[in-house]
Amino acid sequence: MKRLNIITMLLCCLLTACSHGPDPIRYGKDACAHCKMTIMDKRFAAELITAKGKVFKFDAAECMAGFLKENPTIAGDAKSVFLVNDFTNPGQFTDARKSFFLRDSSLSSPMGGNLAAFLSRQAAEAAKKDKSAQVYDWSLLLSKNK
Amino acid sequence: MRSLIVKIGLLFMLPVPVWAHTIIVAPGTKVATLKQAVTLAKNGDTIRVEKGTYISLNTIVDKELTILGQNQPVLDARFQEEVLTITSGHVKLDGFIIKNSKTGSMRDFAGIRLSNVEFVTISNNTLINNFFGIYLSNCKHIQVLHNHITGSNNIENSGNGIHLWKCKEILLNENYVTRHRDGIYFEFAKKCLIENNFSEKNIRYGLHFMFSDDDTYRHNTFKNNGSGVSVMYTRRIAMLDNTFIENWGSSIYGVLLKEITDARIEGNHFIRNTTGIYMENSDRITVTHNDFVSNGWAMRVLASCNKDHFTQNNYKGNSFDVTTNGTLKEIYFNDNYWDKYEGYDLNKDGTGDIPYRPISLYAQIIEQNPQSVMLMRSFIVNLIDKVERAIPSITPESVKDEKPRMKPWKK
Repeated sequence: MKRLNIITMLLCCLLTACSHGPDPIRYGKDACAHCKMTIMDKRFAAELITAKGKVFKFDAAECMAGFLKENPTIAGDAKSVFLVNDFTNPGQFTDARKSFFLRDSSLSSPMGGNLAAFLSRQAAEAAKKDKSAQVYDWSLLLSKNK
Repeated sequence: MRSLIVKIGLLFMLPVPVWAHTIIVAPGTKVATLKQAVTLAKNGDTIRVEKGTYISLNTIVDKELTILGQNQPVLDARFQEEVLTITSGHVKLDGFIIKNSKTGSMRDFAGIRLSNVEFVTISNNTLINNFFGIYLSNCKHIQVLHNHITGSNNIENSGNGIHLWKCKEILLNENYVTRHRDGIYFEFAKKCLIENNFSEKNIRYGLHFMFSDDDTYRHNTFKNNGSGVSVMYTRRIAMLDNTFIENWGSSIYGVLLKEITDARIEGNHFIRNTTGIYMENSDRITVTHNDFVSNGWAMRVLASCNKDHFTQNNYKGNSFDVTTNGTLKEIYFNDNYWDKYEGYDLNKDGTGDIPYRPISLYAQIIEQNPQSVMLMRSFIVNLIDKVERAIPSITPESVKDEKPRMKPWKK
């Protein structure tokens, strides 16, 4: 019986490794795939899942954008999933393609990009503090980064 | 004549005018809070706070004052606000217990905040349970001396112990920081000196530089932090005589160097770390007179590094001396002591007669196939490493120490 339990446990481990979907970020443990820093801040963390199901975790949206710049095939693949945290509701992943990004000097995101993601353009505009702050959508953000 | 003018000039610059007053704050008296005292005070006055517990919801110090705590009075923000904000230059804050700042994701609440000021000294304070400990933004000529800073160790509610943003010429001396996110954090902080500090058990880094040039840190100890010290996107940093000890775990390093140039790493001790130094995109780094003792990887130098020099270091008891992920170019090793060196010194000049190759064949195999770590210290691994050392064929030809020392360097 005991052995059966162990075998099922092992099987479960194997199966979870194959699942295709977001992998929760272990804050304070996981390192950013781009800048190597430990991911700490829920407000800025981002995640990318490739078409094959490989997961990359990032401490900030600017790191994900930087990573995509170096890996244009993943960036161009329609099956890639890009996830960001909603700044007003940290800990909740949303689709980066549908999000809006505020670049505001008062936001101190981990890699100095001063970027935060919001669900809607209105929410991003509402969070503006600096007059020169700008709001981008996902495709504009990627093109700005080039 | 000129010196006389200078002397007269200095006289006018004396910080404490002779007509200064002293205001005493004590519980149950007329002046029962620090806030009242600041309102009453004039530039140049001294405020003495007697022993007791005071509620301080973001007391703003906007005058040139010397504020002294007698027998460690407590300033408590009860998790509602920041504790203290200094917005005036020429302030000294000494001898307080500062605790319980508000936490939260929208603003960086701090125990002591310094904003746009010069010539301020923060000394001998104990900070407990604050979101950020001491927060300096846009400051110059600040001294942070002998403070004891303890955070909450909660991943969500931990800011940095000492946080610098856009600062210049700051001195941090003899501070102790623990249980924060980063013990000491520098962003756009230039020409600073970090000396004799002890940073341990912080969640992320003991010390963290981002975009901060021309800083020096020396005689500090970084123990058992999330990842030791991280230096990123920074130029001309000097790292001298520090101790990096027991920074253990996957993706954890004694020092993580990323995209830095012209750094000096001298006289440091790297003891029992998973990786002593990890280097990526780092150019013109000189690593001299360091001790690498009992680390998993003494150094991991990625192929993106250029023109780095490693001389007169001691490598003792490390599982791997050097590893890399590709072809190293213009990386120079010279005059180091390697305990794994098995050469001879026939002419007795203190250096071995055959070169030492710090990257072992087995390290190369692990690089390609991490699972093979299972075979570590097995007979077959020892055998192939010995064969490779005798007849090098696979390990990179360019990476070698032409003059390995026979005996360790003594300090």
